[in-house]
Amino acid sequence: MRPIDRSSPGPGHRRWRGWRRTPIGLVVAVLLVIEVYPLLWLFLGSLKTQDEFLNRPTWALPVDWLNFDNYVQAWRSGVARDLVNSVLAVFPALAAIVLFGAAAGFALEIMVWKGRSGVLLVFLTGIMVPSQMILLPLFSVYFQTHLTGTLWPLILTYTATGLPLTVFMMATYCRSIPRELFEAATLDGASLLRAFWSIALPVLANAVFTVGLVQFFFLWNDLLIAMTFTAGSGHDELATVQVGLLSFQGRFGTVQYGPTMAAICVNVLITLALYLFCNQRVMKGMAAGAVKG
Amino acid sequence: MRQVLGDRKTIAVLLAPALICYSLIMLAPMVWSLGYTLFSGNPIRGFSFAGLANFDTLLHDPKSGQALLFTIKYAVTVTIGQVVLGYLLALLYVFQLKRSSGLIRTLVFFPVVLPTVAVSLLFQKLFAIVPQDGPVNSLMNLFGAESINWFGGGGRAFLVIALMDIWRSMGFYGVLLYAGLVDISDDVIESARLDGAGGWRLARTVVLPLSRPVLISALIFSINGTLKVFDSIYALTGGGPGAQTSPLTLHMYRTAFAYGDYGYGATIALSLTICCLLVTVAVFRGSRQDPTA
Amino acid sequence: MIIKTAPKRRQTVLAGLCVLGLAVGLSACGDSSSSDDPASNQVEFSFLGMPENTTVEAVLQTIAAGSCATDLADYPLKTSSQPQASYDQQLQLLAGNDALPSLIFAANTPSLAIELHDGGYLVDIDQALTEVGLADAILPAAESVLRSLYGGDLFTLPAEFNIEGIWYNKAILAQHGIAQPTTWDELTAANQKLADAGVQPFAVAGSGGDGWNVTRLVGNHIFRSLGADAMRQVADGKAKLTDPEYLASAEAVAAWGQAGYFGPAPTAVDYATAMNTFLTGQAAFYYMGSWALASFNDPTQNQIGDDNIGFLPFPNVTGGKGSAAEVPANAGMPLALSSASYDAGAKAWLGCLAQNYGTLALRDKGQITGFRVFDPVADLPALTTEVQDIIANAPSSVLWFEALFSAQATTTAQTNGGLLAEGSLSGADFMSIVQADLG
Repeated sequence: MRPIDRSSPGPGHRRWRGWRRTPIGLVVAVLLVIEVYPLLWLFLGSLKTQDEFLNRPTWALPVDWLNFDNYVQAWRSGVARDLVNSVLAVFPALAAIVLFGAAAGFALEIMVWKGRSGVLLVFLTGIMVPSQMILLPLFSVYFQTHLTGTLWPLILTYTATGLPLTVFMMATYCRSIPRELFEAATLDGASLLRAFWSIALPVLANAVFTVGLVQFFFLWNDLLIAMTFTAGSGHDELATVQVGLLSFQGRFGTVQYGPTMAAICVNVLITLALYLFCNQRVMKGMAAGAVKG
Repeated sequence: MRQVLGDRKTIAVLLAPALICYSLIMLAPMVWSLGYTLFSGNPIRGFSFAGLANFDTLLHDPKSGQALLFTIKYAVTVTIGQVVLGYLLALLYVFQLKRSSGLIRTLVFFPVVLPTVAVSLLFQKLFAIVPQDGPVNSLMNLFGAESINWFGGGGRAFLVIALMDIWRSMGFYGVLLYAGLVDISDDVIESARLDGAGGWRLARTVVLPLSRPVLISALIFSINGTLKVFDSIYALTGGGPGAQTSPLTLHMYRTAFAYGDYGYGATIALSLTICCLLVTVAVFRGSRQDPTA
Repeated sequence: MIIKTAPKRRQTVLAGLCVLGLAVGLSACGDSSSSDDPASNQVEFSFLGMPENTTVEAVLQTIAAGSCATDLADYPLKTSSQPQASYDQQLQLLAGNDALPSLIFAANTPSLAIELHDGGYLVDIDQALTEVGLADAILPAAESVLRSLYGGDLFTLPAEFNIEGIWYNKAILAQHGIAQPTTWDELTAANQKLADAGVQPFAVAGSGGDGWNVTRLVGNHIFRSLGADAMRQVADGKAKLTDPEYLASAEAVAAWGQAGYFGPAPTAVDYATAMNTFLTGQAAFYYMGSWALASFNDPTQNQIGDDNIGFLPFPNVTGGKGSAAEVPANAGMPLALSSASYDAGAKAWLGCLAQNYGTLALRDKGQITGFRVFDPVADLPALTTEVQDIIANAPSSVLWFEALFSAQATTTAQTNGGLLAEGSLSGADFMSIVQADLG
C-alpha cells in the first residue's frame, strides 16, 4: 500500500503557487459559484411566501428575513419522522451490506476453492439488473410474510441490492492483501474467522468506509424502492425523506413552493452536518480505497 | 497451508449471509420476473400465457424504441460528462491546487449527498419560466436573450437533465479519480519532466496511461448508474414533455404499474439488463487491450 | 500508516456499530409498537388517501368525531396515503395480494376501477346502501355520471361532484367590450381581440400530467360538434380519433395554441400557476372544474374578487350535434369500498358516510359532493350557490376526453396536452399518438 497521507505542510510559496495563475483562480471561482449559488438561492427561497414565488422576480430577496412559517409547515408535515425512517432503514442495511460484503469478498478472494469465480460472476450480474425487475415479486413476498407495514422490506431490499457492487469491490480490495498474512496468523493458532475479524477487517477499514459511503448515497437517495414498499401499505408513517419530499406536491400538482424549499433546506442542512462530520474520513477513505480496477 | 484457506466450513460461514440474502431477494425475484416475460396480464386480471408475444411487441413498439434511444443518449452524454469533468477536476486537485484542494473538493463533492428529489425540485426552480423567470432565464435576460421554456421540448429538457446529473455527480467522480491520480508518485512525474515532457505531453504520455485502471472503474460505475437512471428524471420532468425524456426504466415502470401490463414491463426490464451487460462487457474488453502493446 | 492509526479506526468502527445497534433496536421497537394490540376487539377501518387530496381525510375525521362517534368507536379510522402519480400502481399491488384497505379512491383511471370491480374486489354500492337504509343518499345526477363512467354499474361513492366550464374575468371582458361568447367561433374571436390588446386570453396548465385541462377543451369540442356519445363511439372502436371529424376538434385547440392564446409557455405552467394567473387578473378565461371554488372563495388566492368571476358553459360549435346545455360533469376522485374488508365496521362507516358526507364536505370545505345534503348548510358563498343551481338545472351531462380511455392512452393524452397548447404539436399528431395507445 502506498502512503497517501500527504498533508505534511509544504513550503508556503509552493502551496499558493497555483492561485497566482489567474486562469486557475477563475476556474475555481466559477466552480464555487456553480456549486454554492443554487444552495444559497434555495435557502433564500425557503423564506419566501407563496405570493412572493408567484408574483415577484425570482432573484428578489425575501421580503421578511425572519419568516420561518415555511419551516414550521415543513416540520409539521413530518420532516423529522421521514428522517428517522430514512436513518432506521438505511443504516441497518448499510451495516449488513458492509459486513456481509466484506465477508463474501474475503471468502471469494482470499480463500481458495473451486467455483469461486463462478459465484463472483453471479454476484456481478446483480450490478446490471435494474431494481424495477425485482419489485413485483418482492411486493408479493413481503406481503405474504407480513413484513409489509414495517421498515423490514426496505432494510432487506436495500441490503440485497447493495450487495453485488459491495462484494465485487471488496473482492477487488482483498486482492491487494497478501495471503501470507492469514497463513501466518493461522499458524499462530488463530482461527480463520478470527483472522478475518482482527486482520482483514482492520486492513480493509478504509475500503469498508468507502464502500459504505458509496452505498449510503445510493440508499439515502433511493426513491423507487421506498415509494413501492412504504407508502400505501396502510402505514403512512413509514415515508422516507425522498418520498416525503415528493408528497409536497399538492392537490392536482399544486406546489407549495415555500414549504417545499424549507423541507429541502432542512434535509440539506442535516446532510451537510452529517457530511462535514465525516468529511475528513470521507476524503481520506475515498483516496485510500478508491476503486482500482 | 492452502488447506487452511480452503476450509469449507469457514467459507460457508463467510459467504452464506451475503449469498443467501442476495439469492432470496435479488436472484429469485429476477428469475420470477423472467417468467413474467412469457405472460400477459396483471395480478387483478390474472395472467395468461403469451409465448413470445411480449418480445414481438418490444420489437415493434415505437415507445420502447424511443425510450431506448433516450436511455443511450442520456447514458453516453452523462457518463462522458461525469467522467471527463471528474477527471479534469481530479487533475486540478492534484496538479494545480495540490494540498490546498481540500475545501474545493469538499464543496464540489457535496451535491452528491443531497436527496435526488431535492436536487430535482431545485433545478425545476432554477430553470423556471413561470410563474417567474428562474435564475437561469434571468441571467439570460441580462445578456439580452429571451427567456426559454426549458421543459417545453425534449431537447431542452434533456439538456437540463444532463446538466443536473453532471452537476450532482462530477465532484464524486472528481474525488474517485483524484484517488487514482494521487497514487502516481511524484518521482514518476519529476523524471518525466526532466525528460522534457511538460503540460499536455506529460498528461498524455504519463498521467493518462497510469490512471487508466481507475478511469475504467469510474466508467463502468458511471455507465451502470446512468443506464438505470430513474429517480432524477422521475422527479425533474416525469418523462415529459409528452414522453420525450422517458428512459427505459420509466417506460417499464409505467407499463407494469400504471398500465397494468406486468409481462411487457418485465420484458422491457430484461432488455435493459441486457444493455447493461453488453456495455459492461464491452468496456471490460476495451480495457484489457493494452494501448502500449 | 495503517498500524499507526489502527486504534482510532477501531474506535470509529466501534462507534459505528453502536449507532447501528441502536438503530436496529429502535426499528425493532417501532415494529412492536405499530403492531395491533391483540387484547382489544377494535377493528380498524383503513383508508388509502392521497397527499394531493386532503378533503376526504378531513371529512372522515370529522365524521368519526361527530354524531357517529359512538357507532364508530370500535372501528377507528386508520389513514395512509400514496401520491396520485403512483396510486394506481399501489392499488394493483394491493389488490393482487388481496390487501386493499377498506376505503380507497377508485383509481385515477376508470378502466382500472372497472377491472377491480370485474375482479370482485369492490363492494356493490347499490345493494350496500339499501342494506344500510340510505338508498337515496346519492343524487341522481351524480349517480348517472358514475354509471356512465363505469360501464353502467354503481360501485363508487361521489365524494365530489363537479361541473366544468369556462370561468371568466368579468372586468377584463367588459373593459374590452366583449359579450359572453356562446359559440366556439365567438370565443375564438374574443381570444383574438384580447391577444391583440396584449392580454393573455386563456390560463392553462400543461406541465407534466397537468395537460388534462387542455385535453378537456378537445373533448368538449368533440362533444359539442359530434354529440354526447362521440367518445363512447371511440371507446367501442366504432370511430377513431384520427377520423377527420375528430381531428377537426384537436386542430381547433392546436390553432389556439399556435395563435398564442394560452400564453408564452404552457408546458412550464403547473396547476397552481395557471390558477394564480387567472386569480391575479393576468388572463381572461380559465377552463376548470367547480372544485376550484375552494380557491375562488379564498381571498388570499383570489385577488380579482369572487363577484368578478363568471361561469360560461362550454360554448356550442356551429352546426354541431351537441349543445351547451350538456354540462361536462365528473365525480372527481370517487371513493370505493373493498369487498374483502367489508365487515360490520365498514358497514357502519358506509352508513355514517352516506348520512353525513354531503353536509360536512359542503359546510367545512365548501365542497359540492354527489351525496344528498341531509342538513342544509346556510351562508354559502354566491359562486357556490350559482354552481349548485347549474347542477340542479342541468338537463344532462357529458364526460370528458379521457373518461373511457385505458390508463396508457390517458397518460399519453394528458402528458401531451401541454405541447398541444404550446402549438408545438399538431392536432393530427396529437390524435394519432393517443389513438395508437387506444389500439
